[in-house]
Amino acid sequence: MPTPARTLPNRTADRPEDGDFKSELLALIPFLRAFARSLTGNQEGADDLAQETLVKAWQSRATFIPGTNLKAWLFTILRNQFYSDRRRAWRQAPWDQEAAERIPGGGEDQFFSAQLSDTARALRCLSDEQREALILVGAGGFSYEDAAGICKCAIGTVKSRVARARKALMEILDGDDTLGDVARPAEGDAAREIMSQLDRLSSPEFGALGGKRRPK
Amino acid sequence: MTQQWETSVANEEKPTEKARAVRARQRAIGRELRRMYDDVAQEPIPDDFMDLLRKIDEAEESKGGKKVS
Repeated sequence: MPTPARTLPNRTADRPEDGDFKSELLALIPFLRAFARSLTGNQEGADDLAQETLVKAWQSRATFIPGTNLKAWLFTILRNQFYSDRRRAWRQAPWDQEAAERIPGGGEDQFFSAQLSDTARALRCLSDEQREALILVGAGGFSYEDAAGICKCAIGTVKSRVARARKALMEILDGDDTLGDVARPAEGDAAREIMSQLDRLSSPEFGALGGKRRPK
Repeated sequence: MTQQWETSVANEEKPTEKARAVRARQRAIGRELRRMYDDVAQEPIPDDFMDLLRKIDEAEESKGGKKVS
């Protein structure tokens, strides 16, 4: 029987529900990649992280409760993996000043980040806690409750992190005086600013979420 | 989701001139965040991922040792 190019190999389900689980994993890969990109800020690291998440999720599939939110469950695994990978990296690789100085112009990531949209760059300036809360609620479409579950904190904490993140982003993008300055942009200016941002976003060099495009 | 964002933005400030400008700006930033996220989510899934899922499958197969393909 001919197999369509993009279906999952599904012939070895030990349990009948394994096949369904795998199909659902496949469907959620794009969102895992997007969330991972927002955490790591670069494409390669993000895709490694998303793949580690898939493996972990598959190994732990027996602990997933059917009927609960699989996306939130996967995002929780991904987030845990991100922080534990980073802790390990810190332990294993002390900062090498000499190596850093040998990299011309501060390295590839910095070169690419010069081409990012202001918002993508401003996002990198937020604390991890604020950034992840903002992305989950503001971009990922999670409820405050689900975001709280993923970040292992109280709902009120997520709400205040999102609010602070929004405020901080605006201050970074528009200058520190934005919220206190009555003479700040009127509607017309805001609309022009939006249009100019959209123009920049649609330019080919834009790399989403702080990532860089890998040449195909 | 979108609505939740817009509502929380809308409820935050009293409707003064400044507040309206701030809200417009916040909505623009919100749209841009969603756009960045959606851009990644809409990329085609790299082949590495499909290879990985295939490997998971093969591992299961050899572990089970009783499967027919």
